[in-house]
Amino acid sequence: MGSKTLSASYTGTKNMKNSKNHIKMRKKRTVTSKQHTAGWAFLTPATLFITIMSFYPMFQALITSFKTGSSADMVWSKPLFRNYTRMFSDDLFLRSVGNTFLYLIIEVPIMLIFAILLAQILNNRDIKFRGIFRTCVFLPCATSLVSYALIFKSLFATQGLINSILVKIGILHSNYNFLGTPSSAKVVIILALIWRWTGYNMVFYLAGLQNIEYSVYEAAKIDGANGWKTFWHITVPLLKPTIIMTFIMSINGTLQLFDESVNLTKGGPANTTITMSHYIYNNSFGQGVANFGYASAMSFFVFVLVAVLAAINLKVGDTRD
Amino acid sequence: MKKRKVISVILTGAMLASLAACGSGEASGSDKKNGKKVSKVDVTKEDKNTLSVYAWDKNFNIPALKAAEKAYQKKNPKFKLNIIEQSQSSDVETAITTAGSAGDFTTLPDIVLFQDHYFQKYVTDYPKAWVNLDKSDVQWADFGEEKLSYSTIKGKHYGVPVDNGTVVCAYRTDLLKECGYTIDDLTGVTWDKFIEIGEKVHKKTGKYLLSMDGAGNDLPYMMLQAEGVSQFKNGKVNLTKNDTVKKIIDKIVEMKQKDVLYLANDWSDYTDQTIIGDMVCGVMNGNWIIPTIKQVKKNEGKWAITSMPTLSGEEGYASNGGSSLYITSNCRKQDLAKDFLAYTFGGGEGKQMTYDKALEDGGVITTCISAGKSEVYNKGVKYFGDQPIYSKIVEMSAKVKVVEQSDFHYVCREQVAAAIQNIINGTSTDDALKDAEKQVKFAMDK
Repeated sequence: MGSKTLSASYTGTKNMKNSKNHIKMRKKRTVTSKQHTAGWAFLTPATLFITIMSFYPMFQALITSFKTGSSADMVWSKPLFRNYTRMFSDDLFLRSVGNTFLYLIIEVPIMLIFAILLAQILNNRDIKFRGIFRTCVFLPCATSLVSYALIFKSLFATQGLINSILVKIGILHSNYNFLGTPSSAKVVIILALIWRWTGYNMVFYLAGLQNIEYSVYEAAKIDGANGWKTFWHITVPLLKPTIIMTFIMSINGTLQLFDESVNLTKGGPANTTITMSHYIYNNSFGQGVANFGYASAMSFFVFVLVAVLAAINLKVGDTRD
Repeated sequence: MKKRKVISVILTGAMLASLAACGSGEASGSDKKNGKKVSKVDVTKEDKNTLSVYAWDKNFNIPALKAAEKAYQKKNPKFKLNIIEQSQSSDVETAITTAGSAGDFTTLPDIVLFQDHYFQKYVTDYPKAWVNLDKSDVQWADFGEEKLSYSTIKGKHYGVPVDNGTVVCAYRTDLLKECGYTIDDLTGVTWDKFIEIGEKVHKKTGKYLLSMDGAGNDLPYMMLQAEGVSQFKNGKVNLTKNDTVKKIIDKIVEMKQKDVLYLANDWSDYTDQTIIGDMVCGVMNGNWIIPTIKQVKKNEGKWAITSMPTLSGEEGYASNGGSSLYITSNCRKQDLAKDFLAYTFGGGEGKQMTYDKALEDGGVITTCISAGKSEVYNKGVKYFGDQPIYSKIVEMSAKVKVVEQSDFHYVCREQVAAAIQNIINGTSTDDALKDAEKQVKFAMDK
């Protein structure tokens, strides 16, 4: 942009004597520079806001993560990286990291496979009432995180619906405390996550599928490819960018998992289902602890984790040779 | 086509309008509650006879504050108390944390109601947020020593008690009778005897003699306090070398295994499922649990209260929860605030009017010993078979032993609760306590 204006003004001076041409040139220069300023004018508010609202707090959080003590009177921790080294000897934090990764590893693949299959099915033009089915699958996403967590909690309560049904049809002998037993509580959280987020990811896949020409499928059909082959050799490769995007978003979302842990199980029993974000929250506002330095340090750990995982994902999914 | 466009524009417009209406409706609803602003306060704009205060329970402590306002108006007819309702107690804690972190206390009201167990920690963290009450006319000698121990720091008083956390053991007398017991059989008993009775009750009636929130550790804390023992010693966590803790935890595990005790998953399960769901024959908690018990209308007249069991079989007394009023450093009329608190909740001339009305309207029970002797307090309560439970609670509150408090009270509570869960799931007591102690130490060592 800059060099273009420069060359414009240079040609301008060169043709000084040709006044008609000169005016034309001047006008051109003002247009480009006008565009230039307009661009900056449009950018400035967003840039300012994101700097003030997002980057500045992030920078402050970084500073806070090197400090310790009451939030009224924070001092630099000694040694400076104490909050960062501290978290690796914190059993509870390590457990929360373990839990979060467990949710991530089990939930994300199941959810994405479900989503892509559902999208494929609902993209079929022969299915009647597609719109209604699509809406139904997407509907869980319209419920708020807290309310759906509470509904799952009441469903899986010791005296809840699931227990009553299982006892009635004879699968369970007596009421089972789903949320009070570590292993089943984790399963309930994973089930809840799958229910809540499958539809959300399906919408992305549906959008991706709309961009695939129908004629490609027709051609495949003529060539004698069956449903599985079309799915595996046409749909998946063409959806690759969408798959990568949903992967990154799901990883990001699961690493920051908070509502389910807080509302479904409160991290219990005995902190066996707590997630990283929940533990960070507990350290800043729970139990009257207000340990902001340590909480910020843990937040940055999560930040680095997300960044690293996203980078790996992009690298693995890179289609350029 | 054009028609369609017009319709869509109209529809969008209608949607926007309805959204806007929603928004403004909500805003005015919360802004104009009681004709006052709800969430914010600016003490500089108050007139000289008004005090603002944060409180959180419109069925419990807010009626108590209104009673105090009315009582103080006798002394100062122009006096007004601007009660700003918070949605929960932790909102007040967050308000102090926010103000303290920013070093700007101007967002705070004159007075806050604050949970007792959190207060010590908040004085350590934000010493500049509070005003001590040394130069006030509060009748300290008239209060239970244990209640004051929460709000006294390094010999200085900060808070004026409002409610009372004294533990009541409430039992269903009709069910006990069915099993051949009376309430006296559960007064001044050992935990072993309690377990024996509990087993029989469960066998005969299918109900549990006790239930508790398994994640909250109220039970071990209360049981320990009844023994006069703390989870802390000389400012350090004291679990692994504490025989009383071990004995008590073993008793809890035994109770759970013998179906004497039902451990709920969380607090709402505890109140809604076990108490209101009529699963229990006994309830043991701070007396603020009484309104919850009373929600089961069909059991009216069948309950009675008594003291706690102990390891030795003496009558046990403990306290759990409760709150006090504290003046913040943002208060510009400290003399008025101190005088108001001393005159009403602090045992001054207005105490009877305050506490009687607080009990009638909100069920708030005092720790002020002399105020507990009034007629209102000595009335029999129909739900509890006409037993005068309120005067009994005040009487019991004076007998609660003072135990060492800590900034890390709730951290420790949660870890002990986790330890109990782990023991029930098969870990040995020593290992589970070692782990809990390690976690608390870790939290204390910043």
